[in-house]
Amino acid sequence: MGTASDLSRKALLPAAVLGISGLLLAGCGAAPEEEAPGAGSETGTESASTSAVGTENSDYTGCIVSDQGGFDDRSFNQSSYEGLKSAEEDFGIKVREAESTSPTDFTPNVNSMLQAGCDTIIGVGFLLGDTIKPIAAANEDTHFVGVDVTDPEFPDNVQRIIYDTAQGAFLAGYLSAGVSETGKVATYGGAEIPTVTIFMDGFAAGVEYYNEQKDADVQVLGWNREAKTGSFTGDFENQAAGKTNTTNFINEGADIIMPVAGPVGLGTLDAVTEANAAGKDAKVVWVDSDGYLTTEQGEVILTSVMKLMGEAVHDVIEADLAGEFSSEPYVGTLENGGVALAPFHDLDAAVSDELKTELEEIKAGIIDGSITVDSDYSPES
Amino acid sequence: MSTTVTVPSGSGASPAAGPAPQPQREIVRHWATPITFAVLTVISLLVFALGASGESATFRISTEADAVQIPDIVAPTVPVGWIITLLLAALTVWGLLSVRRRGTVPGWGSAAFAVLFVAGFLVWVVGAADTTTVFLTGLIAGAFVLAVPLIFGSMAGVLSERAGVVNIAIEGQLLAGAFTAAVTGSVTGSVWAGLLAAVVAGALVSALLAVFSIRYLVNQVIVGVVLNVLVAGLTSFLFSTLLSSDSARFNSPPHFESIRIPVLADIPVIGPILFDQTVLGYGMYLIVAALYVGLFRTRWGLRVRAVGEHPKAADTVGINVLRTRYVNVLLAGAIAGMGGAFFTLVNSSSFSKEMTAGQGFIALAAVIFGRWNPIGAFFAALLFGFATNMQYVLAILGTPVPSQFMAMLPYLVTILVVAGLVGRSRGPAAAGTPYVKE
Repeated sequence: MGTASDLSRKALLPAAVLGISGLLLAGCGAAPEEEAPGAGSETGTESASTSAVGTENSDYTGCIVSDQGGFDDRSFNQSSYEGLKSAEEDFGIKVREAESTSPTDFTPNVNSMLQAGCDTIIGVGFLLGDTIKPIAAANEDTHFVGVDVTDPEFPDNVQRIIYDTAQGAFLAGYLSAGVSETGKVATYGGAEIPTVTIFMDGFAAGVEYYNEQKDADVQVLGWNREAKTGSFTGDFENQAAGKTNTTNFINEGADIIMPVAGPVGLGTLDAVTEANAAGKDAKVVWVDSDGYLTTEQGEVILTSVMKLMGEAVHDVIEADLAGEFSSEPYVGTLENGGVALAPFHDLDAAVSDELKTELEEIKAGIIDGSITVDSDYSPES
Repeated sequence: MSTTVTVPSGSGASPAAGPAPQPQREIVRHWATPITFAVLTVISLLVFALGASGESATFRISTEADAVQIPDIVAPTVPVGWIITLLLAALTVWGLLSVRRRGTVPGWGSAAFAVLFVAGFLVWVVGAADTTTVFLTGLIAGAFVLAVPLIFGSMAGVLSERAGVVNIAIEGQLLAGAFTAAVTGSVTGSVWAGLLAAVVAGALVSALLAVFSIRYLVNQVIVGVVLNVLVAGLTSFLFSTLLSSDSARFNSPPHFESIRIPVLADIPVIGPILFDQTVLGYGMYLIVAALYVGLFRTRWGLRVRAVGEHPKAADTVGINVLRTRYVNVLLAGAIAGMGGAFFTLVNSSSFSKEMTAGQGFIALAAVIFGRWNPIGAFFAALLFGFATNMQYVLAILGTPVPSQFMAMLPYLVTILVVAGLVGRSRGPAAAGTPYVKE
């Protein structure tokens, strides 16, 4: 992340410096500031923006606060961050950022953004919802954006960016059921929160739909739609737990696994690579971003259920610049392209042409409403 | 929960006691263990026997690829539930009698009770799940993998605390080891260089702990906590700036190949755990054994323990207290660093932010409920790994228990074991106290 400016580094440092203040890290902290005043505001002029808001908006500051994953999580923090960076380039706004390393950083980070005079503060992640709510209520003149914040009860100066990922996961579930050779597919989450379980529920619904259509009996391990219980590793950090859990799934016969657990999913890639070396033929469905591009082990990734957060963040900033801020949530769906299924890349041959056609039909069906993805976790639009 | 009675020493068994004033011997009766037995037996009766689903639980042991084929174990839940309850009841009665007679329940009695109870629980819970079959070998192998960093970490804890320095920084030592192993391994392309770097990094974190707590007498717990935060911040910072900019160069370490010992590795269930490991896996067994022998069977160990229990006395007889502490704390860091290397050179393909995820703290718990004994800590870590993997497997099989409750399982097991079966756990008397020569 060569472009990271001073604030993200500063946000990491207090934690480290805490006790042995300045002892070791002072040297590391000073250097990066040179590149700080965004190179983007200069390069912004060359991008041919057709937007009415123009390319010179240096009086507008867009700010972003990550959750524990950080802006290099190869997942939703990173894509939201890239969305803001692209807005910086296109509209010439100023950008400030603060990375959180633990939930105790959330409130201080949002407050420091507030004091820095931000026009809009973007909080990334479901977990920041509870932080933003009281701060937004107390600061009515500042606009807030909550990415992945599903709770509908928010003041008028907050716009939520949410995704009906169940739609994309439904397609992935149908695909997995069609590709599976053992007749068992699996999914697990990092923690039981709505933005995670919506993937798992949509995935299981897609498998169910496949079973109805094909009169098949493909089983889903790790999520039970009726009981709403499933498999969770407990956090979004412990890769080893993801690996062991995935090995358990493979031991019980699953050959396609969808981890909804951020970096913990890297453990799934390790487990699948290892199992395949020992003669199995397992595959992974990645989530949030196209795992083929963002991870090192794309060869085992069948597809990814993508949430295109970057564009949503970019568009929300553009609307705010134009004075059209709205507290109506932006809901990403298959229809508006906010949710999509990634290409099959290396495993294209594993998906039959018939299955590809069916997926296109189902996608069209979901968009025109003839197929409803019936998930309790879908956002109320 | 103990009662003290005074009985004449040598009563009954030794009539040789002379008329001289009889030395009195106190029996401290520890009732906690048999009471825990009784409570668990009642649970077994209510849940495993009366609450059995009526299905049969199937435990698969072999895969098609194995050289030795073992047939599946099919356990009908109802009869197994009753048999186990009866056995547990018998052990409870025996436990009560032995506390009456000699004050405590022998360790193997507690172990037998725990094994039976876990077996009963497994049969009951698998029988009650949506899928009533489970791959037992995988369950145990996964538990072992989860336990490895805990074992390394707890050895670091035992070594340091036995010399009187509380090592809260295990988490930081593991993380530093994982990070440097990944970076050095990637840059040099050598696993051995990675391992060496991890050992050095762990020892460096320890060196800070040692200097601040031994030389400058800073509160050991606080130094440990600060070091954990320091290492977490430093590695996250370097990960964000250096490693993610060019992960092919800095974060794609080579990996240790596992060395399979022929024939022995084909033993069902335990073969792969004991005889199909990487160098780090075998090294771990060696370290546990060496520490046990070293601490309890050698002059060095006696001196270390003396320093941890009563540094003044040790100093009086000419043991260099501060040097012993420095050496032990540094060695502890080196061992934890090796544990860190397990993350990036064996188990995972690359380093990621805070990938140790609090396991250093669980290792600390393993030290305590292994009673500061390497073997005890080893089994404590294994138990924790087993409970954790059990929780994962049960979620896969489909139990009606909510995931949040399942996530408590490892901790619940730990509390039960510490409170009921291990009994009083007392650390080295001088742990946490800096030594100042008067």
